[in-house]
Order: sequence, then C-alpha cells, then structure tokens
Amino acid sequence: MNASARGTNPVTLFQRVSQHGLLWPVLALVVLLLACGLKSPGFLDVATRDGNLYGQLVDLLRNSATPLLLALGMCLVIATGGIDLSVGAVMAISLAVSLTHLDGVADPSAPGAVATAVVTGLALGVLIGAFNGFMVTALGIQPFIATMILMVAGRGIAMLITKGQITTVTSPPFKAIGSGFVLGVPVPVVVAGAVFVLLALAVRRTALGMFLEAVGTNREASRLAGVGARSTTWVVYVLAGLLAALAGIVYGAPTMAADANNIGLLKELDAIMVVVLGGTRLDGGRFHLGGLVVGALLLSTLERAVIVFELPSQTTPLFKALVLIAVCVAASPALRSLVRARPPRARRPVPVEVAA
Amino acid sequence: MSTGLSPQVPTGAPPRPGPRRVRALVDRVDRRFLPVVGTLVTLVVMLGVGQQRYSTARSDFLSMRLLSNLLLDNSYLLVLAVGMTFVVLAGGIDLSVGAVVALVGLVTAKLFTAGAPLPVVLVLGVLIGTCCGLIIGVMVQVFDIQPFIASLAVMFLARGLANVVSTNSLKIDDPGFSALASWSLKFGEGRESWRVNASMLVAVGVLLLAVYVLHYTRFGRTVYGLGAGDRGVAVELMGLRPARTRIGVYVVSGTCAGVAGILFALYTKSGFNLTGIGMELDAIAAVVIGGTLLSGGVGFVLGTGAGVLVYGLIQVLIVREGLDSWWTRVFIGAVLLAFVVLQKVIAGRRR
Repeated sequence: MNASARGTNPVTLFQRVSQHGLLWPVLALVVLLLACGLKSPGFLDVATRDGNLYGQLVDLLRNSATPLLLALGMCLVIATGGIDLSVGAVMAISLAVSLTHLDGVADPSAPGAVATAVVTGLALGVLIGAFNGFMVTALGIQPFIATMILMVAGRGIAMLITKGQITTVTSPPFKAIGSGFVLGVPVPVVVAGAVFVLLALAVRRTALGMFLEAVGTNREASRLAGVGARSTTWVVYVLAGLLAALAGIVYGAPTMAADANNIGLLKELDAIMVVVLGGTRLDGGRFHLGGLVVGALLLSTLERAVIVFELPSQTTPLFKALVLIAVCVAASPALRSLVRARPPRARRPVPVEVAA
Repeated sequence: MSTGLSPQVPTGAPPRPGPRRVRALVDRVDRRFLPVVGTLVTLVVMLGVGQQRYSTARSDFLSMRLLSNLLLDNSYLLVLAVGMTFVVLAGGIDLSVGAVVALVGLVTAKLFTAGAPLPVVLVLGVLIGTCCGLIIGVMVQVFDIQPFIASLAVMFLARGLANVVSTNSLKIDDPGFSALASWSLKFGEGRESWRVNASMLVAVGVLLLAVYVLHYTRFGRTVYGLGAGDRGVAVELMGLRPARTRIGVYVVSGTCAGVAGILFALYTKSGFNLTGIGMELDAIAAVVIGGTLLSGGVGFVLGTGAGVLVYGLIQVLIVREGLDSWWTRVFIGAVLLAFVVLQKVIAGRRR
C-alpha cells in the first residue's frame, strides 16, 4: 500500500492523518469547542483584566491542569505495563497533610510555613509512590492490586490525618497555588506546563523513554538487555505519586479545605481516561505524552460543555462514557480492519501482491 | 482441573531450599487450595478474637445471630462478589458493578412510582444489569478494548443514566416490595434470636448456583481456561467457545449486579444516585481476600463467600472496638495487603 501511494503526496498525508491515533480526540475537541462557541457567543473570547487572562478558555486550561498532572504520572506507569489506582487517594492525603501542617503553625501565611506544607505533602506522595513501586517491583504483585490497596486504605489514612474533620485554613500564599496568576497565566496551568515540559525532555532527550517502552514491551527481555527494569519501574511509581500529590495541592488549594472523603474521588479513573483518549493503549510499551494534553483538554471541555448546553451537570458521566466508548471503538483494530478491508476486496478480487 | 498450575517461564534459578518438613506439609495440600486455606484461617482467627473479646456471660459473640447479621448486611456484596469472581477467573475485571447497583435501585424506585407491578420491576431491574454486562462483553470481545476501560466506560454510563433518572433519593413504598423486604423467618429466643430473609436466600442461592456453574458445567471449565493467560488459545483448541464465554462472564457479572441492585434497594428501601461508589472495589477486595488470583484462572467461588464474611467481620469488629468508621478502610487495606503478599509467597513456592 505504501509503495503505490508514494507518488501522490496528498494521499500519504491523508493516510497518515486518518491513521493517527489522535485524529478522533482532536476532532472531538474541535467540534466541542466550536459547538460551545456557537451556543454561547462569548465562549471563545479571552480578555485581560488587571494584566491577568480571563475567559472560559482560560478556565478550561486551568481545569485541565489537575487531570493532566495525574495523567502524566499515569501515562508513564502505563508505559511500563502497570497502572496506578492510588492517585486519587494520594491527592486527598497530600492535601490533608499540607493543610493539617498549616493548621498547626502559628502563622499560616508565612512563606516558610507554606513551603514546608507543600514539601511535606509532596514528600508523602513520593513515599506512597515508593511503597507502590516496592510492591510492584520487589514483591512482584500485579500493579492493579498493589495500588488498589492504597486506593482503598488511602482515604481512610487521609481521614486519620484530619481526624475525620474537614480541616480549613486561611493562608493567601497557599491559596495562590491554586487560584493565583504568574505573568497573567493561572498558576495551575504554569505548574502543569512546566511539569509537562520537564517530563517530555526527560523522556525524549534521555534514555528514560526508551527504557520505559522496553520494560513495558517485555520486562524480562529488557532486563536481559541491560535495562534496569526494577529501578525504572520504581522511578515511575515514585513520579506518579509525586505528581498526584502535586495535583492534590493544586486542586485543593483554592478551597483551602481538606475534605478527605471527596478530594480526588474517582480522579484516578479520569486520569486513565485521559491517557486512553490521548492515544496510549493500556497494554504498555508505547506512549504519547502530547496526546495527554489533548485528552485533558477534551475531558475538561466536555465537563464545561455540559454546563454550557444547560444540561444538568450530574449527567457529565454519561457524556464521558459516550466519548470514551466512541474513541475506543473508533481506534479499535477490529473496526479499522472492517473499514479498510471492504473497498479493496470489492475492486480487486484477485490480490496478486499477497507477499506484502 | 489443573489450571492452578499456570504456565511459568523457566527462570533457570535453582529451587529454593526450604525447611523440608514445611515443604512436605505444603506439598501434601493441593496448591490450588492454599489461598482459600489462608482465607479460612483468617476467618477462624477473626472469629476467635471476637469470641474472646466480645463474649459476655449472657451471650456468645460466635453465634447464628452473628452469621445471620453478616449475611443480612452483606447479601448484596456477596452477589456482586460472586459475579466478579467469574470475571476475575476469566482474567478480566468489571468496574461497573457499583454504578449498576445505583442505576438499578433508582430505576426500580422510579418504576414503582410509575405504577409498574412488582414482578415486572424485579425482572426489568435484573435485565438492566444484564444489558450493562453485555455492553462490556461486546466491547471486550468484539472491539478488543481492555476490560478495564470497557467496564470504566459502562461505569460512567450507568452513573450518568442514574443521574438522569433522579439526583434525589427516591423512597420505595410499594406494598409488595415492602412486604418482600420485611419478610423473614425467625429462629431462637431473646438474645440468641436469628433470622433468614429474602435477600439472604437469594444471595446464598446465587452462590450455590455459581458453584454449580463454575465447577460442574462446560461454561465453568471454559471460564477457568480463559484465565490461563494464553488469550483463550488452549480453550479454542479444546473445542470450547472462548468468544461466547468471554462475553458470558460479563453478562453473569452484570446480571449479578442487577440482582445486587435489587437486594440493595430491599435493604435500604430507596434508590439513590450516590450509592455504590467504591462498591466495585469492595467486591474485588472480597474476591481477592477469598483467594482468587487477579491474574485469572485460579480460585474458588466458595472462597469468595468466605472473603465476603471476612470483609463483613472486619466492620463488625471495628464497630465493637468502638473505632471510628474510617478505620474500616485502613483495616481492609491492611488485610488486602496481607493476602496479596500471602498469594505471592504461595506463588513463589510453586516454582
């Protein structure tokens, strides 16, 4: 097929585009944005107020930060053939720890106190990630069940930290982590963008990405080939824990309330959905970080579109399900071979170039 | 069935030298039973601790009353876990069951307010679960979508539909349904009294049916075969039907979720869209505690029954101990951890 199409450039371009894993998610995103723009005319406007960017699109970016942060960690874990179900609980734990720390400090607004709170929260995320990594690499437990342990217990641990209360604190600097601006751009967007760039560099400019894919494709073969399968896997879970802790702080900072029961509830599933929408299959071995941005944007646009179209916001899961099913089915090999197999067979009953 | 001896990649490592007597003892027990033995030991230890700590002169902790209360409070979970066992044995996972329970409960309540007769409502409720399972099965088998994602999609679907039906708690006051919910056979006197109600009968019936199907039918054998980890090739070569069975396990799980939804509605006499969040994890935890390997192919549905009892006992012990309810999650996590490590130790010894 490639040989026959090489002469005509538009065909190859069309083929490359139509076969690209991100085609459907990007199309869905564009259609959703346009639909929202038509429904509410001001939707696509971006204004500056006091030098800060305002508008629905900016809100979309801000809302995409949490799922993107979670999905970045999740994607790396999935690349090694694993999964991390504990990220939602980690969000709750890190926020609970940070706010409990601030609650106990004399001056919650002092920069030092805020810095310690954030670092403590992140450190706990690293610790949990290390525990997950230990279970998966040293004990060889399936990632699904290894991380499920903390998914179940994590929320209970967060409740223990807050003593079953919803801890509330007043600390403007801490709040700014979630709702402030840097050079006119919302802080969560800056944080997520910076993490994305750092990870993309780490994965594509160093050998880490190749190691991840090698481990995800065949753990044993990669170990024999000299890849540190264990340490690579371990690093990935620690990263996922760290990013989840960061996401918890960024997500919970605006409300300044550690609600251990509800912060990050079902966010692990959102993160997995973002990864899948971004064109990464759950089998491991191959991953696209760029797709995560599209996936995260699609997720938050979907949530916003439900509100723009004046549907009850509780119906959001329904639309999430429809998009997820549509994207998965559209990307499934079964449907592709069905679509691709028909026309040539009808035109050329005797395929001569079988050798290909 | 020799599915317990799943194919292992030869590592070339020499067999681990262990104390000979221990190994001889372990070798005498069929290895497939070891995880379940762990579950039963845990159950006995927990019952022993309870008996020691909470028995009074007037009544024993260990009693029919305890068993009947455990079954009463966990009948819906037992049904869910039994369905989940099928899916896990076949090497899959079903995350949708909690949402399906919520959807079935709400639809049941809505149908009653619309004036539908009791049998119609019950059948429709179960069928909703069956349909959800069928959707997952078709996505997994026909479109080759990972079970995790397929069931996640259906979970979102069911949750969304439940929210469309109603976001308020709907009370069920149909006389027939209320009569069904309050019907029970009472045994014993005073503090020793215990009872059997409709939910318990249904739950135990489902469990026994599952034992029959899994261990004495061709469908059951195929389920174990699918979990062997070769994408159903061996099953196919044996002339069994992997495609049909793979869809079948999700249909079984969905149907069980439908039944569980009705049992939960009987238990609470209402439907609410926020019920069942995390219930799928409770079911998976019960299956794992019951000794079924999540990689598929190894396990017993009766073990799942014991797993549900362990799960319920944890809650009972925490209440008796006067601990706050969030300790439950921590303890369940700890028990899960212990069992997973135990499974690993057994699997390691198997080499």
